[in-house]
Amino acid sequence: MSSRKSLIRLAALLGLTFLVGCGVSTVTIEGNFPTPNISKLPLNVAVYYDQSLRDFAYMEYSETGAEEFNVQSGQSHIALFNAVLPAMFDGVVVIDSLDDAVAAEVDAVFTPLIEEFQLALPMKTKLDVYEVWIKYNMRLATAEGDYIADWVLTSYGKTPTETFRSTEAAINDAAVVALRDLASSFSLSFAQVPEVRDWLAQL
Amino acid sequence: MFEFINQCHVRSVRGVLLAALAVLASCTSTTVDEFRQGETGIASDEAVVILGRRQASDYETRSEFVQCVGDRMARGEGAINVVPEQEFVDAMFPWFEPRTAPLRTRDLEQLMAENVVAEKMSEFGIRYIVWLDGSTETTDRQGSISCTIGPGGGGCFGFGTWEDDANFDARVWDVGSLTSVGTINTDATGQSYLPALVVPIPLIARVEANACSRLATQLKDFVNGS
Repeated sequence: MSSRKSLIRLAALLGLTFLVGCGVSTVTIEGNFPTPNISKLPLNVAVYYDQSLRDFAYMEYSETGAEEFNVQSGQSHIALFNAVLPAMFDGVVVIDSLDDAVAAEVDAVFTPLIEEFQLALPMKTKLDVYEVWIKYNMRLATAEGDYIADWVLTSYGKTPTETFRSTEAAINDAAVVALRDLASSFSLSFAQVPEVRDWLAQL
Repeated sequence: MFEFINQCHVRSVRGVLLAALAVLASCTSTTVDEFRQGETGIASDEAVVILGRRQASDYETRSEFVQCVGDRMARGEGAINVVPEQEFVDAMFPWFEPRTAPLRTRDLEQLMAENVVAEKMSEFGIRYIVWLDGSTETTDRQGSISCTIGPGGGGCFGFGTWEDDANFDARVWDVGSLTSVGTINTDATGQSYLPALVVPIPLIARVEANACSRLATQLKDFVNGS
């Protein structure tokens, strides 16, 4: 009787191990983002993080269509913008709703959104690198909600394969490189966006 | 009696095979080419930063190799102050990221026109920027190893071999004159072996370590102007 119970327990454990092995692996992107060394623009800007950005997650599927990696990068994007924006503008305030912009008495409201996220794994590309590609939609409006600019920005990050590094760690590293790429191109190109440049000239 | 002789024979064959493979494994050939374009020299309060190029689509210069070269340049006779790559790139953010890093000395000239960049460069005391570009490729994989496990134990049998080729370029930029002062190329090749007689015994050709050592020595002499 006891041996039968043990056998059932063993079978259950094996079954659980099998199920865990087949399950989706969650990767929450974590990294440190340095503050950019650039000249500040004399602007007070409110930033609004839409719920879709806060909760942003990308699901990578295996070649058989099974869920493989769930890459959660919403909070890391917020951490990145919180590090970058204060270095770009004189004043930055985070607002919980676009309706709060007027009360915040800011020059503009900035709303970043993720449009697309792509992940390339070495087992699929046959290259010795993990790659992350992200497409953003950046929106800038007045406190009253009038359009100033709306532009697309892409970022790319890659990291080489290493013998003793897990796939999850490599995905995280590639995503952090992509986020740094976003920070560098956004901070250096912001004032060169034609609509933003025209708006800045009017101030 | 016959079994004892047979075991001794197997052991001696194994020993000879291993010794031969160990000798073969140590056969790594390294070639270093230097092309000098200008005079060099460095003061004791000046420093060098070694940065990996990461613009290529199918590979990138590993940060471990960059650190290896930096560590070796910073010790021994004629040691040089080397600023760690990540510390420099973070302090200079966003000017030395893969997309924004200067590709030519003309780009560096434009970059130095930015006050924040020039100030940081002066704070670190950077006299030379060394750009490392390259990777290690594995080719000619041959052989096979099979492993089995059973109630009485397990083991592997077979033989594998491959060739490693580490090729790295080091371009040296003088931050004082904003010119390229030279290039050093290192190419190290070696054959690795993996014989398996019950237990796999890896005999790895340390091509990247050799490339790092030779490149660091040559770079140190180059920067010191000797």
